[in-house]
Amino acid sequence: MPTLTIDGQTVEVEEGKTILEAAEQLGIEIPTLCHHPLLEAYGACRICTVEMQRGKRVRMVTACNHPAQEGIEVQTRSPRVLRHRRMIVELELGRCADLPVLRKLADDLGIDRSRFGTGEHECILCGLCVRTCWELVGARAISFANRGTDREVTTPYHEFSDACIGCGACVAICPTGVLKMEDIKGRKVIHSELTLGPQRAIRIPFMQAVPNAPFIDPDECAHFTTGECKVCAKVCPRDAVDHQMEDQFEEIEVGTILVATGHDVIDCSEMLRYGYGLYDNVITGLEFEKLSHATSPTGGKILMSNGEPPKSVAILHCIGSRDENYKEYCSRVCCMYSLKFAHLVREKTGAEVYELYIDMRSAGKGYEEFYKRNLEEDVVFIRGKGSEITTWPEAPGEEGKLVVKCEDTLLGTVRRLPVDMVILSPALQARADAAKVAQTFGLGCSRDGFFLEQHPKLGPVQTASDGIFIAGTCQGPKDIPDSVAQGAAAAANILSLVDRGSVVIEPITSVVEETTCGGCRLCISVCPYDAARFDEEKKVSVVDEAVCKGCGTCVAVCPSGAAQQRFFADTEIMAEIDGLLAEIGDRHQFPA
Amino acid sequence: MKGIEGLKAWQAAIQEQRDPDATWIAVCAGTGCLSQGAADLAAALREALIRHSLEGKVEVKETGCRGFCEQGPLIVIHPEGIFYPQLKAADAERIVSETILRKQVIEDLLYQDPVTGRRHIHEGDIPFYQKQMRLVCRLNGVIDPTHIGDYIVHGGYQAAAKALFEMEPVQIVEEIKRSGLRGRGGGGFPAGVKWESCRNAHGEPKYVICNADEGDPGAFMDRSLLEGNPHSIIEGMIIGAYAIGSHEGYVYVRNEYPLAVRNLQTAIERAEAHNLLGDNILESGFDFHLKINRGGGAFVCGESTALMASIEGRVGEPRAKYVHTVESGLWNKPTNLNNVETWANVPLVIEHGADWFSAIGTETSKGTKVFSLVGHVNNTGLVEVPMGITLREVMFDIGGGVRGGRHFKAVQTGGPSGGTIIVDTTGAARPAEDRDEHERGPALVPESLIDLPVDFESLTEAGSMMGSGGMIVMDETTCMVDVARYFLNFLTEESCGKCTPCREGIRNMLAILERICDGRGQEGDIDLLQEMSDTVADTSLCALGGTAPNPVLSTIRYFRPEYEAHIRDRRCPAGVCTALIEYSINATKCTGCHACFKACPTDAISGEVKAAHVISTAKCVKCGSCLDVCKFDAVVKQ
Repeated sequence: MPTLTIDGQTVEVEEGKTILEAAEQLGIEIPTLCHHPLLEAYGACRICTVEMQRGKRVRMVTACNHPAQEGIEVQTRSPRVLRHRRMIVELELGRCADLPVLRKLADDLGIDRSRFGTGEHECILCGLCVRTCWELVGARAISFANRGTDREVTTPYHEFSDACIGCGACVAICPTGVLKMEDIKGRKVIHSELTLGPQRAIRIPFMQAVPNAPFIDPDECAHFTTGECKVCAKVCPRDAVDHQMEDQFEEIEVGTILVATGHDVIDCSEMLRYGYGLYDNVITGLEFEKLSHATSPTGGKILMSNGEPPKSVAILHCIGSRDENYKEYCSRVCCMYSLKFAHLVREKTGAEVYELYIDMRSAGKGYEEFYKRNLEEDVVFIRGKGSEITTWPEAPGEEGKLVVKCEDTLLGTVRRLPVDMVILSPALQARADAAKVAQTFGLGCSRDGFFLEQHPKLGPVQTASDGIFIAGTCQGPKDIPDSVAQGAAAAANILSLVDRGSVVIEPITSVVEETTCGGCRLCISVCPYDAARFDEEKKVSVVDEAVCKGCGTCVAVCPSGAAQQRFFADTEIMAEIDGLLAEIGDRHQFPA
Repeated sequence: MKGIEGLKAWQAAIQEQRDPDATWIAVCAGTGCLSQGAADLAAALREALIRHSLEGKVEVKETGCRGFCEQGPLIVIHPEGIFYPQLKAADAERIVSETILRKQVIEDLLYQDPVTGRRHIHEGDIPFYQKQMRLVCRLNGVIDPTHIGDYIVHGGYQAAAKALFEMEPVQIVEEIKRSGLRGRGGGGFPAGVKWESCRNAHGEPKYVICNADEGDPGAFMDRSLLEGNPHSIIEGMIIGAYAIGSHEGYVYVRNEYPLAVRNLQTAIERAEAHNLLGDNILESGFDFHLKINRGGGAFVCGESTALMASIEGRVGEPRAKYVHTVESGLWNKPTNLNNVETWANVPLVIEHGADWFSAIGTETSKGTKVFSLVGHVNNTGLVEVPMGITLREVMFDIGGGVRGGRHFKAVQTGGPSGGTIIVDTTGAARPAEDRDEHERGPALVPESLIDLPVDFESLTEAGSMMGSGGMIVMDETTCMVDVARYFLNFLTEESCGKCTPCREGIRNMLAILERICDGRGQEGDIDLLQEMSDTVADTSLCALGGTAPNPVLSTIRYFRPEYEAHIRDRRCPAGVCTALIEYSINATKCTGCHACFKACPTDAISGEVKAAHVISTAKCVKCGSCLDVCKFDAVVKQ
């Protein structure tokens, strides 16, 4: 543990630390331009030059890379140090434009104007970006080119570099802001405030996620592209980052299952007339929700892509809902959340708000009252569905605006509404993988693709398969209170089963007679409840009686007659038929 | 081949084949002579020998550089040692028919001393060679660098064999330390101490590197050694590698030296073929592999850490050396880097012993040093002198004094990073009334500097440095501000650009010097230059920036009045800076010969024949053509 003196203060540091780190330990600030704790010391800017005395020898050394050695005496603000530091900053100012990062240094050192004029360069050649790309990211896409005053940061031959993985690390570390990114990986920036820069590779999935911990997205993470980086692991004080961790599949044996897989929203970009994906300020309800959230990139402010608050906003209901071209059903939630948005926009920005609706469906406790409140807040309600959004102006006042076309069915006229921002309320739809999930759990799907409940009135959370329940929007569009109620009901049903510890099964099930089964497995392929399986040892099919619903499909297809239904064996049915067909006179006679 | 015995047996076998009395012609085929037609001369000699049916009897050997480049192309006829300089291919016939066949010396082909007018037959009689001590270069004009046998017959590789078979590595390090051999690349760090640190450093493998990235303007010592005697460098590296415990070496040579690369490549291949390089050298059990790494022409790659970065395939820029390269160099392994000349000295030390070596030179600087003596001196070329020789001896005795009877002004050593030393105040040679006003200022420097001994310490004290061995002599027609500007221009282009003080400091210093030369100098520019020099020297990352202000500081130190004349009087005393000079015609001297009228490229001169001419300053571009053609000293440059 070397002990050294910095500006008269003695400090003991760990072996291998630099003078800069030792000074930090003492709270002494030494200015730097090219230093970053995550990168290897480079010693290019020389701003951190300090005076070092060892024995009788006094030398000027750079604090960022000179080891903190035993017994050395360091002066960080001696006249000689300050003289050199001023000269270096002046020289840098003579090359570069008046960049904030240099201006601050100059002000600290009392430099008003450089004797070497003011340059035009915006890059200070600190090399942080190059070293980040090489040392941390490992992509090695950018480097220094040329010598001396021609030195510059660039890609090989100034060409677009395939080596660049578009991680944006160089931009993030650049102290001057001269490096900029554009259209990374072809990702279309829909609303720059929502998709600023690339998706972070390490993030918490969403604000209320449980557990509320970040995860690494291997598709975005530089480490999984280049094999290097691991900056997150280097900075994590708890050593919690593990790049080896992989998705794990765990098998859990359970008695009951609650399927609550939720819904998707319809892709608005398919409906070209609304211009979603084309116009910056046409956003969806979910995007607005994120924008107005306190943790959004704008801090909850409602802003357009140019950073200005909108002066007028149109909210379009029924985008894809109640529409024979897309979804015939009502998505149930849009009217109420659109009212909430209208309220929020009025409250936060005071902008004019138009609600374009087909019918106002505010059925629910307190809902109608909220609708009325919006009316009192001067939200403009137009009965008529928004039919198109365009930026083509036809009248003064429409220039630079989004023009929403609609038919106002109360006034009986077609209207054009010039607005700054449009919020679409897209239809809720069954998840894209709903059919696959249904197959896995033996569920049925209704015509609209949502899971089918056992009975619309008497079994709203039960399904055709015993022990499997559904809740929430996987069953159909519904709002949060309804989803909560359904979830609670399903939970109660499940608990009653768990509490009993046993299930009542159907008395009428199928059995396969081992001695006659030929092992053709036709029964397995047709069983709608996955109750039949094949016994590899005995080479016969076996029916799980707990699962079997006694539908008899297997009995019907069994070529050898080995599959039989309890209480409905072929002989019994034949006998019943014989009995039905017997002559009247013989009705008291039983067959032999 | 095994051991020293095997090597000696081979040497004896070659010797036996060769007749010591046989006549043979050594044609200098160094780059200097080749550019003046040495290849044609050699071909002409061979043809002449064939014509006289002497093929196979008289050998023509193309050797390395003999140093006297001024007099190229030149030959030496052995065994008599007859020296003929400045030959043409047409002279071949006479040489063969008269000197070879009839043993007659051709008087008019002999070297004539420009000072005394005497003609000399032997190389050794010529003043240029008399004060030299050619040790490292001793075989340069004797052997054919592409024939390993030539080197072997002169005892080649016997020092390496001695080291491998008779000495322990520690013993070798001790011997080198005791010899006082210091790095010839410029820094002058004791080689033995460096070897010892590298030997004791932890980490495997260890590397040895030969720095042959000679980039100083006007310097060609390493080039001549590599071209003329590459085996001596290989041998030195084998000894060094064995002492340090390294099995892999690199020669980093600039690609602008194609002949050096070719000869070195040939030498490595020959040495490998004869078991003098590669696995199990001379069956000693020691392996050493040597590779050539060609540099791309960046001056900064002569800096050790930049050079290593370049070998590693990275951008050639230096890094901080708070951790020494002997501990963490190439690929972060212990690495010992020495200059070409240092390596070439090693076999000498091992062969003759540390005592022999340390007897040459001064207290702190041992052995000899090769300089490339260039500039306004009569005998330019490559000279090898013992350390401690005075500048006067080098310039007057060896160099033959300044050309054209002009006065010495200064000598510049150490390349762009070195300094300019005044060695002769013009006042000493001229009467006081002839001196310019600025020269009468404060005494610039004691005249005794002309007797400054050439060694590491003395040169550093005088504000210059030994450097790798460039020595540029300047006469009174040299403008010192212009000299500083020239070197800073070179350094601006050659700075790698990594660190701010070097990249921006040198650029801005150059801008100030340019404006001084341009007649736009400002009061305070000298102080600003000194202030900037202070920061650039103190805070630059590597030695390139650290020594870059030397040309400026040393010229200010010795020639401050010349700077002041530029700035205050808008005058260039040496008459070099075109913006500050004016040509005019002295009407009383002008005879109206019309020569200048015809020579002027811009029609700036007017006048009738037999009448005094006049120069129009508006049209004059200051090319100096009129001055050159005037036979009556009528054209005046002011």
